[in-house]
Amino acid sequence: MPSRVFGLLPLLALLVLWQAVSWAQIYPTVLLPPPAKVAAAFVTEYPDIFRNAAASITRVIVGVSLAFCFAVPLGLLIGRYQILDVLADWSIQIFRSVPPISLIPMALLFFGIGDKPAIVLIFLAATWPLLINTIFGVRSIERTLIKVARAARASEQLIFRDIILPSAMPAVFTGLRLAIGGWLTVVTAEMIAVKSGLGYMILNAQLTFRSELIVAGIVVIGAIGLIADQGVRTLRARVCRWQEGLTAEAE
Amino acid sequence: MQFLECRGVGKIYASKAGPVEALRGIDLAASEGEFVCLLGLSGCGKSTLLQLIAGLEAPTAGSIRVGGIELDGPSDETSIVFQDHGLFPWMTVERNIEFNMKARNVPSDARAARAGELLTMMRLSGFATRYPHELSGGMRQRVGIARALTTRPRALLMDEPFGALDAQTRGRLQEELLQIWEHQRTTVLFVTHSIDEAVFLADRVAVFSPQPGRITATVPVELPRPRDPETPRFTALKKELRRMLVPDMHGAALL
Repeated sequence: MPSRVFGLLPLLALLVLWQAVSWAQIYPTVLLPPPAKVAAAFVTEYPDIFRNAAASITRVIVGVSLAFCFAVPLGLLIGRYQILDVLADWSIQIFRSVPPISLIPMALLFFGIGDKPAIVLIFLAATWPLLINTIFGVRSIERTLIKVARAARASEQLIFRDIILPSAMPAVFTGLRLAIGGWLTVVTAEMIAVKSGLGYMILNAQLTFRSELIVAGIVVIGAIGLIADQGVRTLRARVCRWQEGLTAEAE
Repeated sequence: MQFLECRGVGKIYASKAGPVEALRGIDLAASEGEFVCLLGLSGCGKSTLLQLIAGLEAPTAGSIRVGGIELDGPSDETSIVFQDHGLFPWMTVERNIEFNMKARNVPSDARAARAGELLTMMRLSGFATRYPHELSGGMRQRVGIARALTTRPRALLMDEPFGALDAQTRGRLQEELLQIWEHQRTTVLFVTHSIDEAVFLADRVAVFSPQPGRITATVPVELPRPRDPETPRFTALKKELRRMLVPDMHGAALL
């Protein structure tokens, strides 16, 4: 496998391009701050950035955790019992098509300004990928395995715990990655519904013409996204160790 | 009395194109310790019959008795082995072997002890903590057989267990299976489409015909064990079975 360091190349290229554009003075510094100015912002505004990032991350963790606890068990049941699938399918397809961002006005009316609407929104955004992937995971279980369990007269409880859950786990993790990827919902929500967090920080920086703080916020958002995704992948590799060498992805 | 008995068993599936008759009028019995092969071309219903006897599906006609008791779902007296081995990829070999016992609430120390016995018996001792995909096809099927044997079933139901293996591995596993069978004296119902395999293994061969699946002949194999496929009697019996299997083609090169 090629070294992971390769992944830094496009980022370095972007940095060089950014520096070059700044030197060439194509855009005024007020609009496009040079990298050095953004770096300086990290140093001087460090407490502010940290506080807002922590606020955002907390909301994401709470929202995604709630969605996980709700969507995964529900998905296991829907995947296992056809009657629940028939019952839920249309509703899922309808509601998952609604962009969570379009629910911000509703969330504001119900919950006012603060943590609550932001958490509700990320909960809604995270629920769908988790639910749909969990259902898919249960569906893709080899039929023979269920037959083995039935022939052994395994209880429904044992079938859930020892067969359906572990077999759906890789798909659940795919859902989790997508759910965490949806954390931009929180940034959007923070621009409107809350007075803290990275989204709020970015919007506020725009109002005060602090473009270097906007870029700093964007960098932090991207970095958190990368770290979160790596974290989920590592966790997945550990939980689904049995998959090693079984799928092309693990190569 | 026969240990395993099918009387007038039929199975009709509903499909979009209308009902499909998979089995009709199956009469089949196996006495305790008997090795019976169900021989037929693909689509003749032999695997369907095995699923019915395993209690995984219910017949639409007739009745099935295992150990004198009319079947109503899977029986404690039988264990099934599938062609694609049906091992759980997320469980180690050891945990796979323990599964059938776990399903029957055997306490964990007893499970571990019995699994240890079978690991030794199936020559899998060094592989207890491996995952199925780390094993060869032949070893996976040994794990499948070990799992089936843990509960000391009185009948072993085997659905083309060696169908996906290469010839050499297949031959070795056939011999191992016979050793186990001679040692444990379980009844074996063994589905296969290979005439060679049926003549090598069985006390009796039930020959299936398709559309609808039915048994057209039951042929005893009265060859002394261990059997040698090179002997004239072995070859003659193969010829006879081939003629029964594809009567209108006179056993043409098909097989």
